[in-house]
Amino acid sequence: MTDERVPGDQGSNEPADLDLRTFSDDAALVACLRASYARFPAPDAAQVARCTTAVLAATMHAPSRRFGGAARPRWWWGAAAAAVLVVSVLRPWQPEVAVQQADGAFVGASAAPVGTTTESGDAIRFDLTLPNSAQKVALVGDFNGWDEHATPMVRRRNDGAWSAKVPLLPGRHVYAFVVDGRTWLVDPLAPQVPDEGYGPANAVVVEGPR
Amino acid sequence: MSPRARTTLWLALQLLTTTIASSLAAPSASALPAPLAAASRAASADTVYFRDPQGQLDAARFDTLTANALRVLLDDAAAKGLPTGPLINRALEGAARRVGGQRILSVVRAHAAALAEAKAALGEGSTVAELDAGATALRAGIDAKSLTVVRGTRQNGTAVTALVVLTDVVKRGVPTSTAREAVATIARNPRSDDALLGLQSTVAKNSQRGPGMALDALNRYVRGTVTGTQSPSTPETSDRKPVRPPDS
Repeated sequence: MTDERVPGDQGSNEPADLDLRTFSDDAALVACLRASYARFPAPDAAQVARCTTAVLAATMHAPSRRFGGAARPRWWWGAAAAAVLVVSVLRPWQPEVAVQQADGAFVGASAAPVGTTTESGDAIRFDLTLPNSAQKVALVGDFNGWDEHATPMVRRRNDGAWSAKVPLLPGRHVYAFVVDGRTWLVDPLAPQVPDEGYGPANAVVVEGPR
Repeated sequence: MSPRARTTLWLALQLLTTTIASSLAAPSASALPAPLAAASRAASADTVYFRDPQGQLDAARFDTLTANALRVLLDDAAAKGLPTGPLINRALEGAARRVGGQRILSVVRAHAAALAEAKAALGEGSTVAELDAGATALRAGIDAKSLTVVRGTRQNGTAVTALVVLTDVVKRGVPTSTAREAVATIARNPRSDDALLGLQSTVAKNSQRGPGMALDALNRYVRGTVTGTQSPSTPETSDRKPVRPPDS
């Protein structure tokens, strides 16, 4: 401790009483502050321990600093998760909804129909599987004068499978499918007749030796 | 002028043009082949070649002008010895697709011309189904020489399946020469229609996997189906293995 006065010292022992405007440089201000605090009595060990404990306790219980603030786990999180689990597991099974969802996914991936032609006795059986739900499907071709009312296809199951059996003479036959009276479809994997100026290509089927 | 009136006028002009062309073609029968020339000389201007006792051409499905123009076209085709059934089918298909009369007449006229070319390429003894398949192939861009080659592989049987498969394979991206060689190689074997349809199915499935896959599938199929053959698109190479020169 010293009684030596530094510039700006107005005879006060408190730092708040210093008149900062009288200091021309920072070094003199630091020296003055250091001298004023050095005159305080040293804190005892109990006071230091109490302050330390208080600071640590406040830090430990501060929500914003402990674990993510607003993201801190709460008890109702578990309740909400349990409720979602119960709803999703115990939801009643709806097959038609599942089929519609599957159809929608299939249409999104590939909207191409799948068809086959097979010999069935003295007739040819035409099968067509549509990825979407059609109301009516007709088979048209040179064997029925391209009349969409002449050979309606029969829905075999509820999975978009349609079929028709047509007695055909030996030779080459051109055909196509008409869905709901307005959309013409062809089997993408069957032999196709190139576009002859009318639009989508038609598929053809050829009988055996003639 | 309204679109309907314009269409009617166009159809009337087409009918008039076709009628005049038919009447002008009749006196120049000396330029036709002998059977047609003889038939032309024997027939008067009022001769009707196209008859439809079974009512194949359902005229009620066309407007009057289109139906009359179709009758003239079919009569002209019958006079040339072409089958009229495929032409009627094209017309009915157009009516079912609800396309206009102009386009129906255009398609039928183009198919008649293709039938005539197919008849020249395939020979007089070809069946109606072969001519129809050949005409479709020609309209798909396949040359007449390919039709002749494919027809030559089936001296005793029908070449319908071979022509249909050739058309389909070319349509799926295989070059015409490669497709012709592949189809001809398989078609030379007796009772090979199933193998040809297998080729079509293989190419069709693989063509959906990306460009070039159809050609690759065709080569593999031909190698696996016909033993002792090379792939149609494989260049000829020597089987001799490189020999290391002797050490001096």
